[in-house]
Amino acid sequence: MPKAMLEVKELTTKYITRFREDVYAVDHVSLKVDEGRSLGIAGESGCGKSTLALSLMGYYFPPLYYTSGDIVIGGRTISGMNPDDVRKSILGNEIAYIPQAAMNALNPTRKIINFIEDVVQAHDLYITKKDIYDRARKLFETLGLPEDVLQKYPVELSGGMKQRTVIAVSVLLLPKVLIADEPSSALDVTSQKMVIKMLRQLMEIGYISSMIFITHELPLLYNVTDDIMVMYAGQIVEKATSHEAVFDPLHPYSKGLMGSIIVPEKGLRDVKLTAIPGVPPNLKNPPAGCRFAERCKFVRPECSMHSIPLQEVSGGRTYRCVLSETELREAYAREAHEHAK
Amino acid sequence: MKHTIQQIFQSGKFVFGFSIFATILLIVIIYPLVITDAPLAIIGQGTFFPPGIYVNVYDSMDSTPYILNLDDAVAKRIAGKLGDQERLDIKDWLVAAGIPENEIDTSNTEQLLEQWVNNYDPQKKVAGMTFARQRYYQRLDASLDGLLSIEGVTVAQKSLETGLLEEIDAVGQSDYVNISEVTNKRVLLLGTDNFGRDMLTELVSATATSLKIGFVAGIIATLIGLTLGLLGGYIGGTVDDVIMFVTNLFIVIPSFVLLILISYSIGQEQRGPITVAAVIGFTSWVWTAKAVRSQVVSLRNRDHVNLSKLSGHSIVHIIISDILPYIASYVVMALILQISSGILAEAGLSILGLGPKTTDVPTLGLMMNWAMIYQAHILGRWWAYLPVLITIALITFSMNLMNTGLDQVFNPALRD
Amino acid sequence: MKGYRKYFLNKMLWFVVTLVAAFILNFILPRLMPGDPVAAIVSRLAQGMSNSTGVQAIYEQYTELFGTNKPMLEQFFIYMKNVVRGDFGFSFSQYPRPVSEVIKASIWWTIALQFPAIIVGWIIGNSLGALAAYLKGGFDKVLMPVSIFVSNLPAFGMAVILLVIFAVNLKWFPTSGGYGFDLIPNMSWKFLWSVIVHYQLPFWSIVAITIGGQAIGMRSMAIYELNADYVKYSRFMGIKDRKIIGYVFRNAMLPQVTGLALSIGTMVGGALVAEIIFSYPGLGTTLLSGVMGQDYPLISAATLIITAMVLIANFLIEILYGFIDPRIKAAQSD
Repeated sequence: MPKAMLEVKELTTKYITRFREDVYAVDHVSLKVDEGRSLGIAGESGCGKSTLALSLMGYYFPPLYYTSGDIVIGGRTISGMNPDDVRKSILGNEIAYIPQAAMNALNPTRKIINFIEDVVQAHDLYITKKDIYDRARKLFETLGLPEDVLQKYPVELSGGMKQRTVIAVSVLLLPKVLIADEPSSALDVTSQKMVIKMLRQLMEIGYISSMIFITHELPLLYNVTDDIMVMYAGQIVEKATSHEAVFDPLHPYSKGLMGSIIVPEKGLRDVKLTAIPGVPPNLKNPPAGCRFAERCKFVRPECSMHSIPLQEVSGGRTYRCVLSETELREAYAREAHEHAK
Repeated sequence: MKHTIQQIFQSGKFVFGFSIFATILLIVIIYPLVITDAPLAIIGQGTFFPPGIYVNVYDSMDSTPYILNLDDAVAKRIAGKLGDQERLDIKDWLVAAGIPENEIDTSNTEQLLEQWVNNYDPQKKVAGMTFARQRYYQRLDASLDGLLSIEGVTVAQKSLETGLLEEIDAVGQSDYVNISEVTNKRVLLLGTDNFGRDMLTELVSATATSLKIGFVAGIIATLIGLTLGLLGGYIGGTVDDVIMFVTNLFIVIPSFVLLILISYSIGQEQRGPITVAAVIGFTSWVWTAKAVRSQVVSLRNRDHVNLSKLSGHSIVHIIISDILPYIASYVVMALILQISSGILAEAGLSILGLGPKTTDVPTLGLMMNWAMIYQAHILGRWWAYLPVLITIALITFSMNLMNTGLDQVFNPALRD
Repeated sequence: MKGYRKYFLNKMLWFVVTLVAAFILNFILPRLMPGDPVAAIVSRLAQGMSNSTGVQAIYEQYTELFGTNKPMLEQFFIYMKNVVRGDFGFSFSQYPRPVSEVIKASIWWTIALQFPAIIVGWIIGNSLGALAAYLKGGFDKVLMPVSIFVSNLPAFGMAVILLVIFAVNLKWFPTSGGYGFDLIPNMSWKFLWSVIVHYQLPFWSIVAITIGGQAIGMRSMAIYELNADYVKYSRFMGIKDRKIIGYVFRNAMLPQVTGLALSIGTMVGGALVAEIIFSYPGLGTTLLSGVMGQDYPLISAATLIITAMVLIANFLIEILYGFIDPRIKAAQSD
């Protein structure tokens, strides 16, 4: 039985706006990542995936607040923990976060090696500076980063280099879970590839035990993660293996996402481009039933009546829709047939 | 554009600052229409008359006297001449003169005065008393003369025929006149300055002049800064290098030094307010130029500008229609800053004695200068400098507030 | 140290260039004004003199002194030569005292007053601003309006207010001068104490004004830095708040130091006016008496010295910045 590195049950977190309104950006989300597995989270801007990433860390900065749910990392429940303990023993060494546009994540006036020393010392690990340096050097070497980066200031590194440095620093303490928030979005294509290669390498070598990769580019995940979760308006609408999610999406939204992207993968070249009309709902007052209802082609009256639970399909795959698997597949087949005409 | 203006007027800070400023402007405009006296007219003979209502004593005698019997009138009169300090001093003297202390009651005016009148001897040498103190007691004695009497005073006039004093009127202790019946009176809300000029009228006129100087200086400085910033920022290359060099030079070399040199060299005769404003304008454009330039540089490579370039528009056209609208907000804010710093620069210059001609119109700086030179602050004549200071502070404060408000509208990131 | 060489040279070059430019301006500006400066000065001085031969003699003497009868370029070199030697000519208003002596007497008072005052004000102002950004809440709400008010007062305004409250009304401090009227400068304790007492009000006025200006700026910088990405990332890597605050303030301080270098000119200007309010025997009062006495050589020399002081201060601050910003050294060493 594979060990669950990260287990999240019904996590709900909210933003409190300037006008004292509650916005539930993460609404009863559950997920599980086993040891050695990676999970991709895809969704459009504003669906809550970045908020989810932040929420998973267990440490909340206003205006983000924890409401309910459990977070278990490596068997340890962190959701109720004292924030100071979280900072000291969880952040960085149990679970690590790579922010979006990591270029700006480094203090411009601190050498890389000094920053690494700060990180190590913050966790009360009694290691000498020399040991820290050796460890860092070895890590950098493994990841293909030149050693002299350690002595440099962020301003002296290129964008791609900075991103990879940030990744390296994040895994320094061998966290169980690594959350990468759009690590490649701000980079050029070559650097993107290098970043992804690096992340996969980290998993293979064992520096990290599990990974969550967040992006808005669904097809990208096919090459990176084992499983994919699709998020919409604060909720998970589908979870499946990467292959299933990309080539055989069930939820109308996932299907729409795949349909609106040019993907030169084998098997997808014949898919015609369609955009999903409409915009996501305002999370201040989310609609009662399915949140995708107003944009869905296959909507029915019962979609908006009550909240829709996740339905399970064989093999641990889940999706959130009133329609059955068979009904959906039939609808998609009909649609493809019409397009072909 | 309309939306921007709406937003501006919704900003609390801007509205607050704007209302203060507008009030000042209104006062400056309306006051001279109502009170038409010349601001530099010397109406007081003597320095620093305190604020108050000045009633002509001569005319008050012609006015109908009304008899009012007020309970505390006598006590007040006595207290005016015989305050606590004076009573203690009298007691000191009496004790030193040999009267037993327990017989002296400072709160019993009649008895105290009686003891004083009976015992005071100006010739008497009291041990350890300085000459000045002796004189003090002599003056005190003179002022106490007739304190308790209830007689009024007689007014006599020299007869034109006989040359002798003839009694023409008597003024009783309970005679009051109604101020509105007295022919000549003058309200001096802020007293007079060291020359004897009505401070309030002078202040309003000075504010107007200072504002004018500020506006002119501000506009000149902003125009220069805008032009140089645009040219340097947009054209780039050698032009930019030259402009940058000159700008950096003038940032480091303190502008007030240049101001002093130029102002002095022009000579007092030539220094009308507008000339001073021009000089200030020509020495303070540096910050605006720098700010405009950096904005233009960042705009230079934007898509819409490139589009215009590709469409073949001339440089002037591009600058006016593609770049100016985006920097308009900065220019407005820079203008406000330049105006307020222009007013302050003029004040500083005037305090140094290098401000506009002193015989023409007053300015806020000049008023401060006069107050300082004639030591108003040391003499405690607060009305000669405090209102001026407050006015200066209000003007700069309101302008800065408007600027902060505008800043928050144009840069949403700054909203708290 | 080697890494700094390029940076130092750069700044040194700039310093020399600006000094030369200031020198030229100081020389040229008054002489560009229409009319013969000597004639104007002499005419003002000689008002009331009816002896035309006498006036003529004075005029010739001053022309000789000034060298205005020679071409501009030659005048310039004569001037430069004299300045290097420290000879600024004779003061008109305090004849026969040479200008250099007048300035020497007052320059130390100014340096001793303004230099520490601006530094102290800068340190306190920035600390308050940083605290306000970090603590937020009540402290911030009190500090902000006070700072805004103070920063809107012109320097002389603050000087007048302090003067009136503390010297005139409370009589805690003397109202003017650098030391007691009845004292002759010497090294006795009595004199030194008198100096210290007279020093307080001018000192604290300048400090107060500087605090007002700095606090607001630092607060904005600190708020900006506190919201920076690297702060969030450092937090997520578990780094303690105290360390992060250290990061933030160091980073926020750097632009403040640059700002100080750029605004030192204006600060000194304001401080000079404050000196005048207190009749403090520094360069400010010297300048004022020069203006009132139509003492052209004194004014010219005083402005040159003031400019030189500001340029030197600017240079020193830039050098200091090179030391505290680690990126400067790094950028040089490649």
